[in-house]
Amino acid sequence: MSKVKKPMTIDEKLDLTKFTTDQNYAHITINPEICKTKCSTFDCVYGCPANCYKFTEGEDVEGPVSFDYVACLECSSCRIVCPHGSVDWHHPKSGFGVEYKYS
Amino acid sequence: MTNDYDFDVAVIGGGPAGIAAALTLARAGVEVVVLERGQYPGAKNVSGAALYGPVLHKLIPNYWEEKDSFERNLISKKITLLSDIRSMTIDVNLKDFNEPPYNGISVIRPKFDRWLASKAEEEGAMILPDSVVDDFVWKEKQICGVKSGDEELKTKLVIIAEGSNNILTEKAGLAKKPNPQHHAIGMKETYELSQKQIEERFQVFGNEGISNEILGYTKGVPGGGFFYTNKNTLSFGLILNLKDLTQQQLKSFEVLEYFKSHPYIQNLLKDAKMIEYSAHTIPEGGFKHMSKLYGNGVMVVGDAAGLVLNAGLYIEGINFALESGRIAGETALKILETGDYSRKKTKLYLKNMKESFTYQDMKKFKRAAKFLENKRVFTVYPDMLTGLMERILRNTGRPRKRILPTTIKYILRKAGIFGLIKDAIGGLRSI
Repeated sequence: MSKVKKPMTIDEKLDLTKFTTDQNYAHITINPEICKTKCSTFDCVYGCPANCYKFTEGEDVEGPVSFDYVACLECSSCRIVCPHGSVDWHHPKSGFGVEYKYS
Repeated sequence: MTNDYDFDVAVIGGGPAGIAAALTLARAGVEVVVLERGQYPGAKNVSGAALYGPVLHKLIPNYWEEKDSFERNLISKKITLLSDIRSMTIDVNLKDFNEPPYNGISVIRPKFDRWLASKAEEEGAMILPDSVVDDFVWKEKQICGVKSGDEELKTKLVIIAEGSNNILTEKAGLAKKPNPQHHAIGMKETYELSQKQIEERFQVFGNEGISNEILGYTKGVPGGGFFYTNKNTLSFGLILNLKDLTQQQLKSFEVLEYFKSHPYIQNLLKDAKMIEYSAHTIPEGGFKHMSKLYGNGVMVVGDAAGLVLNAGLYIEGINFALESGRIAGETALKILETGDYSRKKTKLYLKNMKESFTYQDMKKFKRAAKFLENKRVFTVYPDMLTGLMERILRNTGRPRKRILPTTIKYILRKAGIFGLIKDAIGGLRSI
């Protein structure tokens, strides 16, 4: 058996993908109030293939989960798995978002 | 064209389904526009990717004579079972498939979609990249165009080819809110490998290629992995059911890394450099969870309609997209002649689909989606079959036992008689 190589981290993998980030518009937003009061399963964290959803730490947080749209692959998993309607999903504006070359 | 309309038909989405529809319409002289939200067709699309040659040949005769149309001719299919450190592969080589139109071909979507779109443009279709459609133009209950930002395009018909994330199909009232049970997340990694490395590693020559579907080693989450060989790259990925994944509280990208740590995968990816990571959801609900295919002034094609089939040996996505797009295009020609664009007329699309292999195969294999929700298929059986081979092949220094009784005893112990019978019946009924 060949020696198992140290796997690339998700951030290293996402560095390979081309994104054009829209600094003025987050195409997906979540409602921290809904996440805080209604959610106990946090399916978005498990479904997202790009680690855009993370559990928050510390006292000074808006809700139990944070979301960063920058490395979003626009796969729509969060829109599908969120049972509480906290995820407001839109496409990035024209010219922005992920751009695949080899997939 | 009258002054009332900007175009005869607007197609939302420049993937295989949308382009097939536009191409068919443009060929007949219809004024058609394709609104593609990506920077170019294929820029936001993810597939394995493989499709069947005859379907493409029907749309673009002699497609194989063109440089960018495909990567490799898939003459070899491998089905692999994985468990702990074991693997077992059924390897089918069919040189019979070595002639055009080729049974199966691999493609790279940003390349393939752009090529396909260029064919539609040659026929006179207008392709508008960087065009996000936000809504429809409504006239009471009739859809009669599309809205993109502040702009409106008025059309007689709209064909929705927006893909798996079918927000607009839902807005048109033709699809329900998506359910994780009926969707999977597909993650894909593209690797650089030279022509020579691919030939050596996968035992193929010239333009031949392989597809490899892999079952097991996904922490019990229903799904499976794949390899497809391209000219100078290798496509590798993993597809996982979203409901089971989230219920088990496993992160998709971590299950992918776990899957990759299996020696079988490690060997095939050895020394290969990853050049891109991508992901998309896949509608896997099958026949029962397709969207409604038509409405007033509107038809739905491809993934947006849930026209995806996973029936084990048969995995259909791009083929159904091309075929449903072509059929919607042909149906639109008939509807445009009548001057009535209401659902009374768009219903003809459903009728035409019912006569096509896409709809009929979706229906024929309608039990497959349910069967593949059965976790035992992805856990017990790969373990059982690889374990059985280990038992049969291992030299223990003692006299060998007869193979048949050993097999029966082993299988009954691992799978249980009732479970086995139930799964065997379920499996056979689903295919």
